[in-house]
Amino acid sequence: METGKISLLNGILRKKSSAHLVWILFLIPALLVYSIFMAFPLFQSIRLSFFTGKGLRPDNFVGFDNYVSLFTDPVLSVRFYNALRNTFIFFGIHMFVQNTLGLLFASFLASKFKGHSVYRTIIFMPTTLSTLVIGFIWTLILNPQWGALNKILTAVHLDSLIRPWLGDTQIALPIISLISSWQWVSLPTMMFVAALFTVSDEIVESAMIDGASNAAIFWRFKIPLILPVIGIVSVLTFVGNFTAFDIIFAMATHRGEPMYSTDLLGTFFYRTAIAGEHPVAEPNMGVGAALATVTFLLLLTGVLTWLFLSRKQRLEANR
Amino acid sequence: MKNKCVFLLMIAVFLAMPVINAFATGDGEKGGEAVTLTMGSWRVDDVKQIKKICDAFSRKYPDIRIKFDPTNPPEYNAVLRTQLEGGTAPDLFYLRSFGISRQLYKEGYLENLKGLPGLNDAFTKESIMPWADTDGTPYGVPLLAVSHGIYYNVDIFKKLSLSIPGTWPELIKTARAIKDAGYVPFANASGDEWTIAEIVFMNLAPAFIGGYEGRMQYETGKRCFNDEHVAAAFQAVADMAPYLPKGQEALNYYDSQQLFLMQKAAMWMGGSWDISFFESENPDFEWSVFATPGPTEKDKYICFHMDAGMGLNSKSKYKAEAKLFLEWLTTKEAATLFGNELPGFFPVHKDIPSLTNKHADAFLSLNKGRGLDVRWAWPSLLDGSPDGYSLMQNNAILILKGELTAKQAADALQKGLAQWFEPAKNCGN
Repeated sequence: METGKISLLNGILRKKSSAHLVWILFLIPALLVYSIFMAFPLFQSIRLSFFTGKGLRPDNFVGFDNYVSLFTDPVLSVRFYNALRNTFIFFGIHMFVQNTLGLLFASFLASKFKGHSVYRTIIFMPTTLSTLVIGFIWTLILNPQWGALNKILTAVHLDSLIRPWLGDTQIALPIISLISSWQWVSLPTMMFVAALFTVSDEIVESAMIDGASNAAIFWRFKIPLILPVIGIVSVLTFVGNFTAFDIIFAMATHRGEPMYSTDLLGTFFYRTAIAGEHPVAEPNMGVGAALATVTFLLLLTGVLTWLFLSRKQRLEANR
Repeated sequence: MKNKCVFLLMIAVFLAMPVINAFATGDGEKGGEAVTLTMGSWRVDDVKQIKKICDAFSRKYPDIRIKFDPTNPPEYNAVLRTQLEGGTAPDLFYLRSFGISRQLYKEGYLENLKGLPGLNDAFTKESIMPWADTDGTPYGVPLLAVSHGIYYNVDIFKKLSLSIPGTWPELIKTARAIKDAGYVPFANASGDEWTIAEIVFMNLAPAFIGGYEGRMQYETGKRCFNDEHVAAAFQAVADMAPYLPKGQEALNYYDSQQLFLMQKAAMWMGGSWDISFFESENPDFEWSVFATPGPTEKDKYICFHMDAGMGLNSKSKYKAEAKLFLEWLTTKEAATLFGNELPGFFPVHKDIPSLTNKHADAFLSLNKGRGLDVRWAWPSLLDGSPDGYSLMQNNAILILKGELTAKQAADALQKGLAQWFEPAKNCGN
């Protein structure tokens, strides 16, 4: 039996005419796993968005009705556009705060000053904590009755700044975004540090000999050279933020309280497709799948734009 | 060759196993062994207590056992429906009140319980209604209700020599006295938005709109949702605003409970389900409860919400046995067991048993001499969009923020409901 199998495999490998197709054999396991666990559920989810019905198995075909109600229903569409807008704000704050700080920290860490590994550890620490723990701790710090922040503000006589931080519709979302940026800032930092190490010392040295200032070296040489990494970090932030759910769930419940001001596409999806709106709590899988499809298309557009731009840039650089 | 034979034999045994198994258990059942009924529920916290209750039943009917198999509350409705559709649902299961279960009955998943012995003797018509079709056909046995009222700190009330307020203006006067003495009058907060809907607005609403009879006026279109009674109910929320804790916008349910437990807040508009929590967190703490007052002494109502019924799966294999259990649920023995095992979840039985838990007994005895009604939004305001629940909740919160007046909030409620709720469309005739 065993020898038979081996000789069969050898036969395939030796056969000259199909030798160049052997690579398919090595792809099959990955392809199978990908199709069964990624592609198939994705297509199922898209298929589901054209159906309606109660429970977890909608079986009533309705065409594009779910999309129409998502975009035009007086209650549903308000929630949808609100969640979409909030997600863009959430993403914008991460891009601006988390990635800029990441680049700043990275340029410090890459200069390898004394004790840089201590700072590296400090910056990396929040990322190792669970988001639920982070959410819980920060909710306590910001608590208006027994939170540390308001106590500190009172101690330094800045009482006038005290707010019900997570209860104010104007500032709850920026605050949660900042906390999330604080939690994840180490990831772009690490990627930028790694990228900055690849900038060869000869370039930096020759620029210095030519009399370039530190700032000029950073902006004119280092940044262009690590631009591809900046692109990847941006795309990762984009994908991560458009599917965000956990920090909002931990700090503002799955309803994006107060008054849906922190509701993201992720929490909105959880409510429509899985939990339902309190108190009826009957999910609408069809509309949920439509929302998931819209989110997927948004992500796809974003990532494809990046791929297109980076490819164009590479081609131009090669020319 | 020999190897191959052993291998084939093993396969044969393996394939035959389910058959042998089925034969074995089938044989057992015919031999008069115990039937095991499964019971679905969303009360994951009650596993120990329900087991005790079911054991009491099994002592009476030794060949029927009941297995309690609860699901997480947020997923319960969806999971139950999937089980029913797939034919894997439990024999007996907890039913949400009103629309959600009525839909299951209409789709044929629930057994018609018309003529179940004991049902009509043990429960009033009003308490059967949450688990009955619009024509009155029952499909569930009323099981548990939760009550609402105002918890108060006995020591603070004694220290400030305050008496139990009998009207809403008196309550606000009491709140002012408490605030002047340096305490937080109400521990309530809007950080968890549902609390404003369920334990503040719908808690006080029956006393302002006139309980069940009053609610019926709105649901038949005789009154509009922005009349003076609704405006007064929203005004009551506005009256409370200055007496809530500092930063209430960001305080959640747990913070409120702690404020009351730490004796920083003197009152807490709350539900009976918190009894065991307060008792276990601080057993020495002296607290009691009074009924939420209305505009005048005469407005004596309590929000007594029908929470859970028990239904029978129409495709269950053991319907006869399950019906014996449902019949037992209508007895006073079962009602007393439920009331004592689950303090704060009250049996709906006509013949209210006196409960061993003193807090639960005090809470339940508030019902005497008062009109009872369920939470306002539940019976008919949840079936459209925008639903009455969110309208009441969001507008009450806007009042607390000072962005709406009571009249504007009532107008918003009427306008929202008039989009789909027929009686609200041409009301006031």
